[in-house]
Amino acid sequence: MKRDISARFTRSLRNNLVLVGIIALIVVTAIIEPKFISSANLTNVMRQLWPLPFIALGMTFVIIGGFIDLSVVGMISLSGVVAASLINPLGQVGAILSGILLGGMMGYLNGFVLTTVGAMIQAEVLFITFGMSSIYTAIALLLTNAETLRIARSTKPYNIFTALGSGTVGMIPVVLIVFLVILVIMHLFYKKTLAGRSISLMGGNKEAAFLTGYNVKRSMRLVYTISGIMSGMGAVSLVSRVTTATATSGIGYETNAILCVVVGGTSLKGGKGSVIRTMLGVLLVVLLGNCMNLLGLSTFMQTVMRGAVLVIAIWLDNRREL
Amino acid sequence: MGENILVVKDVCKYFPGVTALDNVSIEVPRGIVYGIVGENGAGKSTLMKILSGVYEKDGGTVVFNGETIEHTTPIQALQRGLSIIYQEFNLVNSMTVGENIFLGRFKENRGMRGTHKKARELLDSIGSTINTYTMVGDLSASEMQMVEITKALSFDSKLIIMDEPSSSLTSEELKRLGIIINQLRDKGISIIYISHKLDEIFEYCDIVTILRDGRVIDTKPVGEYTRNEMIAKMVGRTIENEFPPRAHFVAEPLLEVRNLNTKKLKDINFTLHRGEILGLVGLVGAGRTEIIRALYGADKARGHKIFLRGKPVNIRNPKQAMRAGMGLVPEDRKHEGLILPFSVEGNITMASLEALTKYGIVNRAAERDIAKRQIDSLSIKTPTQTTKMISLSGGNQQKCIVGRWLEIEPDILILDEPTRGIDVGAKYEIYLLMNKIVESGGAIIMISSELPEVLNMSNRVLTICEGRITGEFKPEESSAEEIMERAIG
Repeated sequence: MKRDISARFTRSLRNNLVLVGIIALIVVTAIIEPKFISSANLTNVMRQLWPLPFIALGMTFVIIGGFIDLSVVGMISLSGVVAASLINPLGQVGAILSGILLGGMMGYLNGFVLTTVGAMIQAEVLFITFGMSSIYTAIALLLTNAETLRIARSTKPYNIFTALGSGTVGMIPVVLIVFLVILVIMHLFYKKTLAGRSISLMGGNKEAAFLTGYNVKRSMRLVYTISGIMSGMGAVSLVSRVTTATATSGIGYETNAILCVVVGGTSLKGGKGSVIRTMLGVLLVVLLGNCMNLLGLSTFMQTVMRGAVLVIAIWLDNRREL
Repeated sequence: MGENILVVKDVCKYFPGVTALDNVSIEVPRGIVYGIVGENGAGKSTLMKILSGVYEKDGGTVVFNGETIEHTTPIQALQRGLSIIYQEFNLVNSMTVGENIFLGRFKENRGMRGTHKKARELLDSIGSTINTYTMVGDLSASEMQMVEITKALSFDSKLIIMDEPSSSLTSEELKRLGIIINQLRDKGISIIYISHKLDEIFEYCDIVTILRDGRVIDTKPVGEYTRNEMIAKMVGRTIENEFPPRAHFVAEPLLEVRNLNTKKLKDINFTLHRGEILGLVGLVGAGRTEIIRALYGADKARGHKIFLRGKPVNIRNPKQAMRAGMGLVPEDRKHEGLILPFSVEGNITMASLEALTKYGIVNRAAERDIAKRQIDSLSIKTPTQTTKMISLSGGNQQKCIVGRWLEIEPDILILDEPTRGIDVGAKYEIYLLMNKIVESGGAIIMISSELPEVLNMSNRVLTICEGRITGEFKPEESSAEEIMERAIG
């Protein structure tokens, strides 16, 4: 019996390592640098973290489906550029919707290309999405002539962008509230709907899902479309925060998003995972970055830390199988 | 150096909530074929994994070749002279035979030429004529097994453990395996032979240990067992017959297949009746699986017509096949049938989800009921409904896949090797289920490499050879020899 209790304890500890990590990080950093838990710092963190949560949310679905999406870089850049440049002709609502819609279209195109080419193994998926990303980035460069677009130069109102970028309700940023609504919707979509279940069945075993009457190709297009829409929303949140858009603004978010998903405990092998856990992953990664900033670690050192966290997270995931 | 190559004494292994091995002791003499039999979950694989160093034991001693082994890894075990040939081969398909035999050890043979020369010698020593420059991916299952055995010999193995070695072999290939086993025994190499197929156990083994629920039930020379005694001790109860009485419910035609052609299949025509169990017999690779996959819409086929209940239907993918009332229990449980990271419940309800969905939302309560119903009615042994599929035994996993289809009550259930790798007791339960399906007006197409199984269960048998149907038999009226002759072509 004693064996049982201790085994159960180890198992629950192992399953909730992210939470343990977050708490440990907060406690340790708060002791070394009390500024860390000041409300000024926390508000700052909540404002600075966009568009990562959106991208990680979309990426979670792709990874649960057993694939990966490197094209978020290009999708964020192009959606951001398009949203920023359409404020004048379409007005701000039209611009935001176009950015998100374009993201969804690019995502669907990714899925369409992948299923048409018949890419079913991870290496093919990796390189095709990487190639698509280059295409989207190149289009963004052509559109902007590699110049930076500033929303402040628009002749039409852009107050929604400002609200998303820096507005708060009480202490809570507007963009966070918007995101939480979307998070809940996506969580329910994953947990409750047949389409959500099809995604994880596909990630668990494509062939078995296919032979049991599931349209695997459709699920594949669906996960990439979700990732695209989330990239579009992320792009809008990014443009709102930095008030500019460039053709390279998406760089780095693909690895960071994958990092958050994996740290959150969604397996790169596909089939299982949770959008809520991914958010814990985002929290851990962002707090880690903030804490390293406060402790004055160089950016190079921070990159080293992020790489180490990714490797450890995958290692822990593989150990969990045993 | 005692006379025993391996002495296992009082070995125990615990997993959370389960005692996998309970004071297991066996002694394997040199130059002996030692059979280990037991139902799935009896502890055979756990014991082998402890010997090979995949698991650590929780108690007891293991003495191999006079040396007490405390901790070991698979590589160390190999170097000491203990090889395991798993059911699924550990070979690199894209490399040659010679390279596979000496994988990672090319240096000791002074390069590739020496490697191929050494491999040739070893293959010759067991009388195999496989070219060492052939790609392993181009070999048949039995040739791959030869390569695995040769690989074991290349480590100078003193004990070779064969886990279900015959599961992918045809009866002809099995005979060759028998000859090789005898040669190895004559060289003084010991073999632990694990199999569900009692014929092989009686033919090849000298001593047999029966495991049940992690305990040794009996160990004695094979000649002192009777077949029924062995089965009774394995399952812990007496089974009168290995097969239930044949079902006789054949009625009007249900499915007609006309001119089915694919790359591999030529002019397949057959009719399936309500209440019928139709067996497809043929060698591995003859086209049996291709027929049912094309019929089920999983592979592309052209120019064929399918009539269901007299009406033409068009089936281009498994989804349409399901809607038309078909279900498929595929050949490869792990890769085609199960979602291993999912729960038992999730695996059972997979095929029913669409019916439980309203406005896109899955009815979870109904889903739980379905899983519960199938677990109860098929007596699937699982701790809870949410237990991960991966921790179930082979027989119970198979029942989950069958249950998945029973829930949607298909008219035609296609079973590809339905009893591969599962134990006698579970096999019998699958046979009973098959009879129940045809009794209620369904029909079954069954593929099996185990001839007795097909002959005892089917109402009618089609022999398949090189993509063609070469004969049609009523097993009650024809002999096994006649049927096999047609299947070989």
